[in-house]
Amino acid sequence: MILLRLISWPYARKHLVRWVLTIGGIVLGVALLVGMYTANQSVLEAFNRTVEHIAGKTQVQVSAGDGGFAEEVLERVQSDPDVRAAAPVIEQVVDSGFKGQGKLLILAVDMTGDRSLRDYDLEGGDEDVMDDPLVFLAQPDSLILTRDFAARNGLASGSKLAMKTMEGDKQFTVRGILRSGGMTSAFGGNLAIMDIYAAQKFFGMGRRFDRIDIGLKDGVTLEQGQASLRKLLGPGFEVEAPSGRGQHFESLMSVYSMTMNIASLFALFIGTFIIYNSFAIAVTQRRAEIGILRALGATRGQIRSLFLGESVVAGLAGSAVGIGFGLLMAQGLTASTNKFMESVMGVSANADHMLVRPWLLVTAAAVGVITSMVAAFLPARNAARVDPVKALQKGQYQVLSAGENRRRRTAALAAIAIAAGCILFGRSTVAFYSGYFLAMLAMLLLTPALSLWLSKLLRAPLKWVRPVEGALAADSLIQSPRRTSATVAALMLSLALVIALGGMARASYMEIADWMDGTMNPDFFVTTSETISARTYHFPDSMLDGLRRIPGIAEVQPVRIVRINFRGKPVMLVAIDSLSIARRTRGRRATAGDFDGMYRAAAEQRGLIIADNLAQLEKLKLGETLEIGAPSGILRLPIAGILQDFSNQLGTIFIDRALYRRLWKDDAIDVFRIYLAPGAVAADVKARILDGFVHERRIFVLSNKEVRSYVFKVTDQWFGMTYLQLFVAVLVAILGIVNTLTVSITDRRRELGVLRAVGGLRNQIRHTIWMEALAIGIIGLTLGVAAGAVNLYYMLTVSRQNFAGIALDYTFPFGIVGVLVPVILGAAFGSALFPAESAVRSSLVEALEYE
Amino acid sequence: MISVNGVSKSFDGKRQVTALEQIDLQVARGEMVSIVGASGSGKSTLLNLIGGLDRPSAGEIRIDGQNIAKLSDDDLTRLRRDKIGFIFQFFNLLPSLSCMENVALPLHLKGMPKQKTTARARELLDLVQLGHRLDHLPDELSGGERQRVAIARALAFYPPILLADEPTGNLDSHTGAEILKLIRDLHERLGATVLIVTHDSGVAGSCPRMVTLRDGRVAGDVRR
Repeated sequence: MILLRLISWPYARKHLVRWVLTIGGIVLGVALLVGMYTANQSVLEAFNRTVEHIAGKTQVQVSAGDGGFAEEVLERVQSDPDVRAAAPVIEQVVDSGFKGQGKLLILAVDMTGDRSLRDYDLEGGDEDVMDDPLVFLAQPDSLILTRDFAARNGLASGSKLAMKTMEGDKQFTVRGILRSGGMTSAFGGNLAIMDIYAAQKFFGMGRRFDRIDIGLKDGVTLEQGQASLRKLLGPGFEVEAPSGRGQHFESLMSVYSMTMNIASLFALFIGTFIIYNSFAIAVTQRRAEIGILRALGATRGQIRSLFLGESVVAGLAGSAVGIGFGLLMAQGLTASTNKFMESVMGVSANADHMLVRPWLLVTAAAVGVITSMVAAFLPARNAARVDPVKALQKGQYQVLSAGENRRRRTAALAAIAIAAGCILFGRSTVAFYSGYFLAMLAMLLLTPALSLWLSKLLRAPLKWVRPVEGALAADSLIQSPRRTSATVAALMLSLALVIALGGMARASYMEIADWMDGTMNPDFFVTTSETISARTYHFPDSMLDGLRRIPGIAEVQPVRIVRINFRGKPVMLVAIDSLSIARRTRGRRATAGDFDGMYRAAAEQRGLIIADNLAQLEKLKLGETLEIGAPSGILRLPIAGILQDFSNQLGTIFIDRALYRRLWKDDAIDVFRIYLAPGAVAADVKARILDGFVHERRIFVLSNKEVRSYVFKVTDQWFGMTYLQLFVAVLVAILGIVNTLTVSITDRRRELGVLRAVGGLRNQIRHTIWMEALAIGIIGLTLGVAAGAVNLYYMLTVSRQNFAGIALDYTFPFGIVGVLVPVILGAAFGSALFPAESAVRSSLVEALEYE
Repeated sequence: MISVNGVSKSFDGKRQVTALEQIDLQVARGEMVSIVGASGSGKSTLLNLIGGLDRPSAGEIRIDGQNIAKLSDDDLTRLRRDKIGFIFQFFNLLPSLSCMENVALPLHLKGMPKQKTTARARELLDLVQLGHRLDHLPDELSGGERQRVAIARALAFYPPILLADEPTGNLDSHTGAEILKLIRDLHERLGATVLIVTHDSGVAGSCPRMVTLRDGRVAGDVRR
């Protein structure tokens, strides 16, 4: 501690800017970790809180995916001798209609029986509403609101409230206000209670419920109750404690949060290189100091501890700032995670406050400190090995020895050979990931040699541009390969990630465009909301004939989309008119199976079709029989075909709608795909559809162009995380270059001083530093592009095998490289401005005396 | 040639330290002057001020009648490049450049054509008897040879003023004597004004004029 105060603190104070830059990587990594995790936990906790508060005394919930089930299931549940109370529930999330108030959760219950599970503590004067079931039965437009929501929007008993329903905009009347407490804090207080039969009508649910909440009889354990209900209802139903819903939500969110975790880990990884670089330079610069300490009796262990101690302090400082930034970021990220879950996954949590977990902050600090210590380990070891006699002499400490270079090259070649072997002969996941790791390790090991070689290669063109400045810039890189190579390695890794992610994004866009060309080809999509992903409202089957009769419409394809539980994961089930779809989507790419054959099998209910991402994720093969639990029994069918499909990140199963109606007893429709007759005028047909239905139900007619742009918008939202990673990568690259240049300027103060003393003008000094920065940028870009090409191959494979299951073609993203070249060179130039100014403005006398 | 009038220099830190106080010194064209004094007497500070590496806190310094305090940073650099040659105790050669490149550095900085630069650098290295070491790096030379390269670099434009700060301080006595002989020889052949800061009484004694500094003031000015 004394050494830290006496030796390290004055040095750190003298090089404050460098230390700030050094801990930048830790700050960024820790901030992303804390920000993302806090946002995820806040959203998850909000969802769980809503589930828990709404559950009341509910012990078990029966559901069958988000498509719900027929009313008669209630009677079967009530007949179970273990069941004390069973209350049907419909839950829908709608626009609150009030500006800035977001969504409103509608909890639709049967007022006559629900109080056995939930307490409705209404404000004085409103209690009668609950006691008289006729209030809601006779007046289906009745709502009960929370005190909080009512107060925020100036509502009271008797107030009118407009809400979008399946029957269009409808005026509802507030019949009661719930006192604060209990369920009123669910969904951030944006909660409204409605009669369940009214909800069936207003949301186009038919005679269906979303779930049944159950209270068990005294003495019946949860396990007994679940077992008894499972036996009674069969495999098509999920019988879980309310907390089980949180797990589904979490698995949907995990796809999203994984991307952010990668960004955070990546920032920390690159930060390691930056810290390593700074410590390595600090050790070389402080050799004389280390020599003196050793001469005065400091042991090797004390020297090592001194540098490791400095790394702990740097890690703590970085973590502290990172945690602060992370918590600030979490506020924005919570809102965007909420939005993402709503628009892409179709589930809402309405997180209204941040959940800060103390253990996360401790873990984040520990991660920051450990990263810093790992990065400083090698420099600290080198510091401990300094020979006191040699340390007090001037030496060529920066020159990388030929032996060291040779050893690295040999190790790199061995790693490349093994990685190639893993690709050619390895079949297991372990072999694949080992190959991936070794390929990246080889690139890292080759970085010093390759940067040295490229620096030498760049000397001639740089010298040609500016004879003195160019040569000096290149020589600075050639002379100090270690100083440069750590930054080049950081830059290379950043760009390797950017190129791979960019390549994946580009390939995804191309594949999605291709998929939409083949699949999303109807002229109109008739939906219940402005987007095709929202499924709050549904159309009745009766509407199908009405649409078919409209002049100008050649074909109408009804589609029902529900989320079901398949092998413990929420997977999309899409019920289609198989033959009609097959006829209209011939351009679609089949990954396995005959295109016509698979649809024929589906139409004849002999088989089902799955998306290729589900096949990849669940390792499913053509012909394999799948078992899917349905409310009316088990659906057991072979896979008749595998199609390229991007509807859902966790996978999609397509079955014929007739089969779905039979097994799920659900004839609701989410989307009608409309094809126009030849010669029909689109605008006229759209007007006819709206004229025919708008007065009786909520209906939107979206053109093909609108749906395509919506899908691309959602894709953009999905890749928003990728752009964040790109931003992190570029930021880290800039951080690395600024750090290297700052170190380089300090390292070369005497050299730059000499240059000025013998006649170098300020601009000439500036040019030297700018050219050095640009050279680092060029070297980093060159190696980054090479590493990116390799990384893209591996990331596409990871994406196919373990992540989204989507097979994407390898296409090198030249466009992204075209963007990266000016961005990185611009960043390199921008990074050089401050160091260059500091070099030209520093004292010439001090520079010449500098050791 | 060099006119130092009432020059003072102080450094601001936790305490203000006065390095030079009211220095007056006139050096005529072609003179060879040694500046001696104990450590901390202000010798190097005075040389840095005359060379335009630093600026005085008070007073003025004129080179060929031009007040260098009024020059911008770049004008001062041009003056240094064209009229003043520096020789340092630790040579201050750029380790990554060959002897030729080190000597040619100031010529390149002025933008001289490559052919002329090469010819001049070769000529200068011949002058310091290192014509056979053109492509050697500083690391491959002895201390004396490095100082010769530094002297050749200082003579790049055959400047009228040569400033040497302890030019033999980092050399053994035999090599030091050789370097001093070379400086004296160049002084005679080129007619440059030479100022040498030194601790070495032998070096000081070999100059026709010796200025002694004590506690930042001129304590003696002897002409032989």
